[in-house]
This record gives sequence, structure tokens and C-alpha cells, in this order.
Amino acid sequence: MKRDTLLLFLRKELSDLRSNRQVWPAYMLLPLVAILLPLLLLALLPVLLQQGQTGQDAAVTMLMETVARDTSLRGTTLAERLARLLMRDLTMFYLLMPIVLSASAAALALVREKEQRTLEPILATPIRDRDLLLAKLVASVVPAILITWVAFVAGSLMTMAASWWAVDTIILPTSGNLVALLLLAPAMSVVAALLALRVSARFTDVPGAMQFTGLAVVPLSLILVALLGRPAMMWPLAGLGGAVVLGGVAFGLFRMNLRKFAREEILTNWK
Amino acid sequence: MIEARNLSRNFNGLPAVADLSFAVPEGKLCAILGPNGAGKTTTIRMLLGLIPMSGGTARVAGIELPAEDRAGAELRSRVGLLTETPGFYDRISGRANLELFGRLYGLEEATIRARSEQWLRRLELWDARDRPFATWSKGMKQRLALIRAVLHEPPVIFLDEPTSGLDPAVARDVRGLIAGFRAEGRTILLCTHNLQEAEQLADLIGVMRRRMLVFGPRTELTAGEPRLTLELGGDGTALAAPLGALPGVRSCVVVQSSRGERSAPAASTTLRLTLEDLDRDTPAVVREAVRLGAALQAVAPERTSLEEIYLRAVGEAEA
Repeated sequence: MKRDTLLLFLRKELSDLRSNRQVWPAYMLLPLVAILLPLLLLALLPVLLQQGQTGQDAAVTMLMETVARDTSLRGTTLAERLARLLMRDLTMFYLLMPIVLSASAAALALVREKEQRTLEPILATPIRDRDLLLAKLVASVVPAILITWVAFVAGSLMTMAASWWAVDTIILPTSGNLVALLLLAPAMSVVAALLALRVSARFTDVPGAMQFTGLAVVPLSLILVALLGRPAMMWPLAGLGGAVVLGGVAFGLFRMNLRKFAREEILTNWK
Repeated sequence: MIEARNLSRNFNGLPAVADLSFAVPEGKLCAILGPNGAGKTTTIRMLLGLIPMSGGTARVAGIELPAEDRAGAELRSRVGLLTETPGFYDRISGRANLELFGRLYGLEEATIRARSEQWLRRLELWDARDRPFATWSKGMKQRLALIRAVLHEPPVIFLDEPTSGLDPAVARDVRGLIAGFRAEGRTILLCTHNLQEAEQLADLIGVMRRRMLVFGPRTELTAGEPRLTLELGGDGTALAAPLGALPGVRSCVVVQSSRGERSAPAASTTLRLTLEDLDRDTPAVVREAVRLGAALQAVAPERTSLEEIYLRAVGEAEA
């Protein structure tokens, strides 16, 4: 595998992204929400506590019971324990972000080349299928992960500031948060991107590929977030195990993509 | 340098290319003509190893086809391709596009930079080099695609409809470039609808419609049945017999003899000769006619036009 090829496509995608200002808002929306969400949740803390005490809202009552049961939450007051729970579970949002961003980019990766008629000249170069697929994967996943990590750092700083203001204590990311962000998020992002890449190779038009990815790949990946996300927040080792399993799944998906990557299908089966 | 042996390719059970054989020696330009859907692009893709063949074998730039993954990559590094549409990234500059493809061809950055500059200047694209590709005119885009095809200095180039949709002035420039590539000794396979282009550039011409209908050197194909027309002043009907008896002359007939006043001698005569070899036998015929006292007014060799060959071959295939 040539490292140059990976960087080449990554640079091209980044340069493409830089010059296409129309898509910037779409890339900035999720990180912006992630940064502002801690502030919003912590601002709502008094309301939640009040509702929990009156027992008016069943969902809030259940949340309070969860806080009371969860031994991993430390805190001197109920408000602090609730704040820690909310901030810990907020990391689920950071798992969602790289999935959506990388799957969207991967869904476009090949089908856009078909539409621009750039795929045939690329396939006519000595590039090998494995290198092309890996390059497209890296170009889809790396920006998504970087955006997620930057948003996480900014979100964590916001959490620290907002928790100091709301519950008189600084809430730091937990080890579960860090495992989820550093291992689980990239693994989930790779799995989602590989599924979307397969869609991109199959489809002949951009809207079709995007629609299928939005309706099938992203929801499927969200099931992964639901299954693995919360255990990873609570038990870092579970997050580590999940990342290893997903690594294996990603390897299998890459092999499948490679086996199914037929130059002929791509060259002859487009509009 | 390019050799196809009984190539065939089916799509969903229907033959797109059938039993196609031809060879292009090193340094020659071969034009493949054929109507839409004749299988020209499929042939190029098979010869580049982009799609597998249903049958047959080939040898391109020293690599045997069908080729394994590694040999396929090696083959593609020895061949340049110009597709019908330029196929570049719109948002990045022309130079950045060349850099990207140059790297994919395994060239060093310094080499790409030097060659890009040399070609961009030569093709008068240097001033536009840093503008996004989308803002370039169609002619500029096609010239950039030609640069990409030769950036890695391949010995073999495949050109698929290189002047399709270009205005006459740009098409002429592109043809000039192709002639330049040939002059550099590259072996070129040119697929085109443009008969004039083929006649102007090609050493070899093939007409295909799924299979090869006609293939051969352009000069031989267009020579057809070599005919020579002599226009003589006065009555030259008596010359038909001695000229017809010359070696290399298959026949000599009087096709026109115009008379002036009644009983006056002919004002002019037209003789049509069928020769074995137009270039070889014409001087001897002219010499003999002059020796016999003919008042030669015009000597007109007649060649078969490429259009005639093409329409006849395609028409027969359709029938």
C-alpha cells in the first residue's frame, strides 16, 4: 500500500471541501450542536430536578432513579450526580457525529467520481483496487474523526465551564468517554464508511446513493451506537472490547468491498 | 506494440466485440472507425485491462492480457488514455489535477512539476494553470486531458474520440498534438468517427462493427483499384491499344471523345486506365503516351475515398 496514494486522496478531498463553501454549514452543524448541548442541558438542570421531586414527569422520575442506582456516578448532591450522568451520556452524540459525517462522505466517494467522469481516468492509472478503496476510506473517515475530536475538546471545555456555573464543580471527561472517543468512534466511523462505500460503488447517481445511505446505512450504524455506546461510557473495558470487535467487522467489510469492487460494473453500469 | 487476437466481449449474452484481431506496430498510429455502439470503447477498455475479455488474448506494450492485478497495474503505467470526456476535478485547478494524476502514475513531485510546466506552456494553458478546472473552456479541458495522457511518457496511447464536440479550430490543434505524439515515436490507437481525422493522421485504418470489417495500411486501403485518367488534346483513341498493352496496365478504355464539327477530328479524348500500382506504373504510362505523340492535357490518379470504404464496409455488415 502506498502511503502517498492515501495522502493524495485525503489532500484532494480536503481541498475539495475547502473550496466548496456550500457544504460548510452541514459540516459545522453537528459540532456546533455538540458544543452547545452541555450548556443547554446544564441550564435545564434545575427544571429537571424540580420535576423529579414533584414526580410529574415519568421519564424524569426514571432518570432520577437511574441516577440514584448508578454507583459509578460520584457527587455530593443529586444535582451534581444528575449533571455527571447527562454529561457522560452526551458522549453518545460524539459517536453519532463521525458515523454521519464519514458515511455521507463515503456515499459520495465513488458515485461522484462516476458523475464527474473522473473514475475511468483514475482506473486507467496503475492504482490498484485495494489502494483506491483504502484511499477513499481514509479520505472519508479522517476528516470526520478530526471534526469529532475537535468538537469533543471544545464540548468538554464548555462542559467544564457550564458545570462550574451550574453545580459548582468541574466535570471532566471520564475514562469511558475517552475510550469511546478515541477507539469506538473511529471504529464505528470506519464500519459506517465501508457500508456507504459499497453503496457508492453500486449506485449510478448521487441522490440515490445519498438516499440509501441516509435510510439504511446511518440507521444501522445508529443501532451500533445504541448497543455499544452506553456500556462503553459506563465500563471502559466494554468500549475497548467493542472497538476490537468492530475492527474485525471493518476488516471483513473491507475484504468484501474489495472482492465486490468490479471495475467492469463501475465502468459499464452508469448513466 | 498492440496486438489483439480474437478478442471478444459479451454483455448480458449479447456480443459487443466479436473475434477482433489486429496489430499495430511500434511507432504507428492506427485509427479505428465505426458507428456508435460498434465496440470501439469496449475494445480500448479491454486492451487497457479495465474490463475482462470474454475470449481471446492481447499484448499491449509488452504485457500479455488477460493480466493479473500487478501486471495490470504495470500495463496501465505504460499506456496513456484519453477518454471521450476529459474527466478532471472541477473544484481544483488544472495544475493540481495534473499533479494528482501524475502521482497516481507514480511520478515524483519534481518530475510532475517540470513536465506540467513544459506541457502547459507548450499548449498555452500556463496562464490558466491555477484557475479551477470548471472555469476552463472545452478546448482547454481537452488539451489538459491530452497532457495527462502523456505526462508519464507512455510508449502507447489510447485516444477515444479526442476531437468529439470541439470546434474546428480546437480540433485542428488537437490533431496537431496527436501528430506530434506520433512523430515522437509513440504507438497510438485512435478511435474516432471523424474520417478526415483518420485519413489525415493514421498509418493504419480499421473499420469495425463488433468485429473488424476492414483493416490495413491507409495508403493501400485508399488506393483501392488504382485508376488513372488521361485527358488528351485531339483524337487519342488510337492510343488506347498500345497503352493497354504496357506492363502493369490491366485495361485502357476510351471513356469520352468529343468531336468538333461534323467529320472533323476529335477535339479531346479521355482515356481511363486500370493499373496494378498507381504510384509505380503512372510514370511509365505518361512516358509512353508522350512518346506516342499524345497532347497530354491532364493526368488524374483516382483513389478510393475513406468514406467510400467505410460506408461500404458498414453497409455490408448491416446487410
